[in-house]
Amino acid sequence: MGEMLRGRVAVVTGAGRGIGRGVALTLAEQGAKVVVNDYGVSVDGREPTSQPAQEVVDEIVKAGGEAVANGHSVAEWQGGGKIIQQAVDSFGRIDILVTCAGILRDRMIFNMNEEEFDSVLAVHLKGTFNCARHAVPVMREQKHGRIITFSSGSGLFGNPGQANYGSAKAAISGLTKVLARDMGKYGVTANSICPVAATRMTMTPEVIKAREIRKQQGIVREESALRQLENLHPEDVAPMAAFLASDYAANVNGQFFLCAGTSISLVALPRPEKTIYKEGRWTLDELDEIVPQTLAEGLANPAPPRK
Amino acid sequence: MGNRLKNKVAVVTGAGRGIGRGIALLMAEEGAAVVVNDLGVSVDGRGGDTSAADETVAEIAARGGRALVNHDDVSSFAAAAHIVETAVKEFGRLDILVNNAGILRDRMIFNMSEEEWDAVIRVHLKGAFNCSRHASVQMREQKAGRIISMSSTSGLYGNVGQANYGAAKDGIAGLTRVISRDLGKYGITVNAIAPAAATRMTATVSDEARQKRSQAGVAGMGAEARSLLPRPQREAEDVAPFAVYLASDAAAGINGQTFVVMGGIISLLNYPAPVRTITKASRWTPEEIAALFPSTLGMELFNPAPARES
Repeated sequence: MGEMLRGRVAVVTGAGRGIGRGVALTLAEQGAKVVVNDYGVSVDGREPTSQPAQEVVDEIVKAGGEAVANGHSVAEWQGGGKIIQQAVDSFGRIDILVTCAGILRDRMIFNMNEEEFDSVLAVHLKGTFNCARHAVPVMREQKHGRIITFSSGSGLFGNPGQANYGSAKAAISGLTKVLARDMGKYGVTANSICPVAATRMTMTPEVIKAREIRKQQGIVREESALRQLENLHPEDVAPMAAFLASDYAANVNGQFFLCAGTSISLVALPRPEKTIYKEGRWTLDELDEIVPQTLAEGLANPAPPRK
Repeated sequence: MGNRLKNKVAVVTGAGRGIGRGIALLMAEEGAAVVVNDLGVSVDGRGGDTSAADETVAEIAARGGRALVNHDDVSSFAAAAHIVETAVKEFGRLDILVNNAGILRDRMIFNMSEEEWDAVIRVHLKGAFNCSRHASVQMREQKAGRIISMSSTSGLYGNVGQANYGAAKDGIAGLTRVISRDLGKYGITVNAIAPAAATRMTATVSDEARQKRSQAGVAGMGAEARSLLPRPQREAEDVAPFAVYLASDAAAGINGQTFVVMGGIISLLNYPAPVRTITKASRWTPEEIAALFPSTLGMELFNPAPARES
């Protein structure tokens, strides 16, 4: 057992399986008391059961740690409130909030229905807001807190078929930046992890099938990337989350970390790469002439038109 | 009158005032037939006064352009479908969608109500999704289209008191990156503009808040560049020329990008990228990361709001 989080109280959402489970176990191992939240649904958000959260609690208790299960939905404003309240009621405070809960409903934008967009946004984005919003008044009072959100490479770089998920994850990164600025002076930090891992959510039958097709077509680069994905265990993300939750990371605020297996990277926010400037407003004639040789020069189209 | 957008049909949301109005006027001047959409609400999304969009349409008509008014609410999936239907029914097609409609409800996160969060996300992010979703079906059939969405430096870098707006605007940047990949192969481009301009909406940010942000050093990249320009020089109309450029045939190869536009400054933003990496053959322990972090990933990290000494 480590000592980095002795006396701390944590809430981990979506902690019944995958990355959230790994984070809950590691925080407990470092001495934190943990509210293990999981609505217990299938990857697409249906059929709730409290079983997964309870199993993780049993595992923590068996290892000598302290934890309680919580089955509320983060997507509900009141659910977020009840999750945080359980931490305060059970353990007296809330020091650490880790928001892992999420679902997937991939579809190309032109076929995506409203429900597919709304449900993904509700769990990821509203869920992160609901929990953070209820945690921050307590953290502000305590003058101590750690919020660790989960963004994604899909939001930062853009994956086809994920208009809902990519929007939600990018929006979480926007929320995290504001949380860092709103809460920093009260001793509360907010940082985000963009994980790459093979989980129930990412290793879907579609992903596995796509990999088979690529293999048959001999697209080696993709194949090796996916073979790599299989070796990225969800538990690999947990140590970085535990570090960010600790006193060692007191001055780490508003940052983004990519965790892919045992590689951890600091991610830089978008920066101006090329700039054109003039006094006053550009005319269209000027833009026609100058943009192709400056801003647009060498730009790659991520999905060029089919001939 | 130019002819860069001759025979094109555009929808501009939130085009009653500010940046949207400027874009609608210039697109019409370049020959596009424009659906001027504006729900006609106050900056915080309440109340109703639909006259602004009517005035934009009248202005376009007075200059010899083609436009019609639409008062549908972008935050409704069904109403957004009606906006696209209006363009197709009245003008025969839809080439250009500009997602510009937005509202503000600033509040520190610990005081923000659920309603303040929902309202801002609904108009900006859900609104951009709704319109893009319906437009993409039409554009895919045409094998041509341009979607231009307004993001913000608030989303890219984070402003105090804007959890809702910052999330919505970064969400729009994410939406842009994904759907550029969904739609590029059909001859459609999708890009975002992060504008900085003095509009009715930004006027609601108090000078006190601006001062606090700059004192706290939370100015960020946007504000750095912004400081190059005195405020009155950043007019809402300054955003329009680049939006028209992105909508034109000249920009056919520009897809999935975000540009900051403020006054006469136009910047291409790069994608977020790993800048420093630590790696190890087996799983890290939290203790190992704590020991290594300060001299590796944590070197010279900027804390946007350091804890106050108590």
